[in-house]
Amino acid sequence: MKSPVPIVERSILIFAVWAVLGFLGLGIFLEGLKQDSWLLSAAGVAVIVLAFVAHIIVNGVFDTGFTPGETALGIGAYGVLGLVFVAGAVGGSLTMTNYYSGLTLFGVLAAGFLAYLLTRHGLRGAFSRFHIKPMTEREPSK
Amino acid sequence: MMWLPLYILFYAAVTLYWARMAARANGNYQTYFSASHSLPPWVSALVLSGASISGWIMLVGAEEIGRNGFGLAAILQAGIALSLPGVFFFKRLWLLGQRLQLSSLSELLRAYWSSEFLVAFSTVVATLFAVAFAGVQMAALSRLVVLLTDQTVSMPAAAMVLCFILFGYVVIGGMRAVGYLGAVQTVLAGAAIVGFAGCAVLQLGGFGALNAGLLKLAADPAAAGKFIVSGVVQFTAGGGRQAAAAHEGTALASLAMVFALMGLQSSPMAIKVVLSTNSPRAIAAGQTWVMAGAFGAMIALCVACFGAASLIDPSKDLSGLLTLISPWFAAWLFIGLLAGVQLMAGLALLTAGESLIRNVYKPWFHSSLSRRDTVTVTRVAIGLLVLASGLMQVLTPVTLSMLASLALPLAFQLWTPLLGMTWLRWFTRPGVVTGVGFGIAGVLLTEPFGIAVLSALGLELPWGRAPWTMSSAAWGMVANLLVTMLVSAFTQRRAFGGEAAQEARSFLYGILRPASRVRALRSTAWSISLAWLFFAVGPGLILGNYAFNKPDGGWALGMPSLWGWGLVSWVTGLGIVWFLSYKMEMASPHVGAIPDYQPPPRLRPDQRAAERERLRALFVTVAVAFGIVVLIVLSFGH
Repeated sequence: MKSPVPIVERSILIFAVWAVLGFLGLGIFLEGLKQDSWLLSAAGVAVIVLAFVAHIIVNGVFDTGFTPGETALGIGAYGVLGLVFVAGAVGGSLTMTNYYSGLTLFGVLAAGFLAYLLTRHGLRGAFSRFHIKPMTEREPSK
Repeated sequence: MMWLPLYILFYAAVTLYWARMAARANGNYQTYFSASHSLPPWVSALVLSGASISGWIMLVGAEEIGRNGFGLAAILQAGIALSLPGVFFFKRLWLLGQRLQLSSLSELLRAYWSSEFLVAFSTVVATLFAVAFAGVQMAALSRLVVLLTDQTVSMPAAAMVLCFILFGYVVIGGMRAVGYLGAVQTVLAGAAIVGFAGCAVLQLGGFGALNAGLLKLAADPAAAGKFIVSGVVQFTAGGGRQAAAAHEGTALASLAMVFALMGLQSSPMAIKVVLSTNSPRAIAAGQTWVMAGAFGAMIALCVACFGAASLIDPSKDLSGLLTLISPWFAAWLFIGLLAGVQLMAGLALLTAGESLIRNVYKPWFHSSLSRRDTVTVTRVAIGLLVLASGLMQVLTPVTLSMLASLALPLAFQLWTPLLGMTWLRWFTRPGVVTGVGFGIAGVLLTEPFGIAVLSALGLELPWGRAPWTMSSAAWGMVANLLVTMLVSAFTQRRAFGGEAAQEARSFLYGILRPASRVRALRSTAWSISLAWLFFAVGPGLILGNYAFNKPDGGWALGMPSLWGWGLVSWVTGLGIVWFLSYKMEMASPHVGAIPDYQPPPRLRPDQRAAERERLRALFVTVAVAFGIVVLIVLSFGH
C-alpha cells in the first residue's frame, strides 16, 4: 500500500498541470474556433497533449497510472465534448475550419490514448484492459 | 458571461475537494492547526512564494508602474526582497520550533521572550493580514467580477461568494487544506502573471512595439519623469501635506518599500508555514529558485511588461485588459488572480484564528478548553474574521485600505525579536519589547491610519504620510532598531528570558557553529549584500536613470534604462540570495535529527479564578477606554 503523502503530492501536481496547461490549451483551442483559425486551434490541441504528457510523466515519477476517477472524468469529458461537436456538425453551425479543428482535437486525443495504452501495456495488454472475461471463463490459476 | 461563473464553480469544487482530503487526513480536528507538521518541503516552498506574491503584485505593483512609471524601481526587485527574510530566518526558526515543539510565531515569542506584549502584537499583525490586507485584495477581485459580468452580479454578492469559498476550505481543512491547495494556487497565480503579461504585449503588437511606445512616451517632457528615480531623497513633509517634486519615487522610497516587503516573510502567516513543514530541506531551494528566481523573473519581466503596457495605454490596465480579451481567457486569468489572493487570505485567516483563540484567548481566559473545543472556537473566530472582512469590503473600503497599509510595516517590526532569536543573541527582552513598542509608534505616526486617528482626537501632526518620501516601515524600523540596541546595551546583565530561551540559545549555538569556510566568507557576504542594497534599491538607484541611455537619446538595451538596471539588479540579487542560502549556509539543508526539548515537569495551579478576574478586567478596561475616547473626540475632535 502506498503512503498517503506521495498520493497527495501526485494529486497536487496533477491539479497544477491541468489547471495551467489544460485550461490554457482549452482557451487557445476556443480562440482558434472564434477566429476561424485551424492553426490556433491546433496549437491549443498541442498544449492539451502537452498536459497529457506532463500527467504521464507525473504518473511515471510516482510509479502509478491514471486513477479510476481520472479515467472516468477523461472519458466522460471526451464523450460530452464529442456530443457537442456532433450536435454542432449536424446542426450545420460549424464552419469548415471549426469542423477540422474538432476533428483534430478528437483524432489526436483518441490516437494519443491508444498510443499510451500500447506503449504502457503492449498490444495484448491494451486489449485486455477492455476485454474483461467473466469469472466462469477464466483459466484456473496455477 | 457564462465562462466566469463556470470557472469559479470549478475553482470552488477544487477547493472543496482539497478541503475534504485535508479534513479526512486531519481526523477532523486532531491536526487542524499545523497538519501534524507534515507538509512536504516543496509544497511549503511553493506556498511561501505564492503567499508572498498573492495578488498584490498585479493589483498594486503593476498598477504603480502603469500609473507612475518606473520611478519606484524597488517593485522590480520584489522577488529578491521577499526572499531575503526567509534566507535569514526560516532555517533557524524551523530548528527552534522543532526543538521546542512549537507551531506558531506567537508560541515562539512567548517561549523565547516570555512577553505577552509580543504575543499580542503578532496576533494583531496576523489579524490585520487576515481582515485588511487580504480584504483589500478580495474587494478588488469582487469589483472585477462586477466588471466581467457586465454588472449582472453586484459587488456585495461577489464579495459574499468569494468570502464563502475562502471560509469553506479554511474552516473544513485547516492548515493541510491551505498547504495542499496553496501549491496548486501558487502555480495558477504564476501562470496568471505570465498570462497577463503575454496578453498585454500581444495587444500592443509585441515586445518591440511596447518599447517603441515607451520610447515615444519618454520623449514627451510631461512624461519623461516616469522613467527616472526622482533623487536620493526629498525632504518633504509627506503625502497630504507637501507634494514631492516630479514624483515620490526617490531612491529612499524604494529602499523603504523593500523594507515593507520584507515584512511579508517575517509575518506570523509565513512562519506558520515554516513551522508546519516536515523538513527544512527545501528552504534554500524555495527561497533561491522559486521566490527569487522564478517569481523574481516574473516580476522583473512580466509584471514590468504589463505595467508598461498600461503606462502607454491606460485602457490596457488590469480591468481594461480583462474586458479586451476573450471571455475564457479573462475567466482563466481571473481565477489565477483569485487563487493567489485566496492563498494568502486563507493562510492569514488560519494564522489569525489560531493566534486569537489558541495563543491569546485560551492561555489568558480559558485554559481548560479541550483540543476539540479549541478547534471549534477557532473555526467560529475564522468565520467572524471573514464576516468582518466582507462587511468592511462593502461598507468601509477606505478604513479597510488604511488598515491594510499597516500590515506590512507592522510585520516588518517583528524583525528585531526574530533577529534576537536567531542571530543577534545580545538583544535582551527589555530591549526587544521596548524597541517593538517604538517601532509600532513610528509606523502609526507616519501612516494615514495613525494620522487620521490622532486628527479625530484633535491632534494635528505637522507631517503627512511617508515624510521625506520614506514609508512607515523604514521610520518604524529606525526607531525600533535604535531603541532595541540601546536598551539591550544597558540591560545586558539581566536574564534573557525563561528556561526555553536559554535552551534555544544554547541549542542554536551548538548546532549551527559555522565552518571555517563560512567564517572566511563573512566579509565577502557583507560586502556584496550591502553593495547590492546600495545599487539595486538604495541611493545607487539614481545611477540607473541614465546608465543604459545612448548619447543620442535612445536606449542601449532597447528598454528604459531603469528597467534594464532593474533586470541587472535582479540577476545579481539572485546570485546573492544563492550565495547566502548555500555558500553561507544560512538556509542550506540541515541533516540530522532534532531531539525534542523536555521542560522540567511543573504543577499547574488552578487558573479559573484568575481567568475570570482577567476577563472582568478586560471588560472594564474596554468600557473605560471607549468612554475616554468618546469624550476626547467630543471635546477636541472634528
